[in-house]
Amino acid sequence: MKYFKERNEIILDKEINELDKFVIDFCSLLDNYVLVSGYVSILFGRSRATEDVDLLVPEINEEDFEKLWKKIYDNGFWCINTPDSKEAFGMLKEFAIRFAKEKAVPNMEFKMIKKDFDRYSFENKIKVIINSKELFVSPIEMQIAFKLFLAADGIEEELRVDKDIEDANHLYNLFKDKLNNNEFLKIINKMGINERLKLLK
Amino acid sequence: MKAEDMKIDLKEMKEFKRKNAEERLDFVRYWANYIKTHSDKEWSKQQNVLINSQIKK
Repeated sequence: MKYFKERNEIILDKEINELDKFVIDFCSLLDNYVLVSGYVSILFGRSRATEDVDLLVPEINEEDFEKLWKKIYDNGFWCINTPDSKEAFGMLKEFAIRFAKEKAVPNMEFKMIKKDFDRYSFENKIKVIINSKELFVSPIEMQIAFKLFLAADGIEEELRVDKDIEDANHLYNLFKDKLNNNEFLKIINKMGINERLKLLK
Repeated sequence: MKAEDMKIDLKEMKEFKRKNAEERLDFVRYWANYIKTHSDKEWSKQQNVLINSQIKK
């Protein structure tokens, strides 16, 4: 794994698994997106499975959504929430919608960028090159902070077995020499989770 | 043995929980270090056994 920080790029020479293939297939249909949350840890080797892959896209109008919907269906994906594109577009304004291929698991959780921390992930995304294929993922600093934030409330003892804390630790241990600590601490402060830093070991 | 005959030492259980959490995190650290010190091909081959078993074609 080679991380070129100056150009926000990571090169992975891994063997592509079925989940990676699924994600690469879906993302190749999109012009702009960023992958966030659990899959980012898994892409970088975390040894766990997942049901869904979280993906953020910039705001989209109904006409462009219809075109994308057709492209998605033409490529063998289907929407778990509804087979109706208009209804799906209505849902997308408020919630995430899910796309699967054949079976319902795994699926892509497709969400529009609405909050600033989504926007941050999108604007600072990292290009990951895997065997000449490309994926765009959220910056590592944001991923670690977000996973610390996402963990359920509880005492330290309970938090240590939380999968989100384990994901955060995986990324932290893998990238700690390359993190932009200044940026990382700013995100931690904004999220109000300074207390949780002690869970990173 | 029936549930009513079972003796549970809650102090011992709590210690088990603490150790379990610590061991899980130790493995996360061990695995992250493994990834850093081995080729992508090597670690991904092992990871893929787990991932691919979930998504059987």
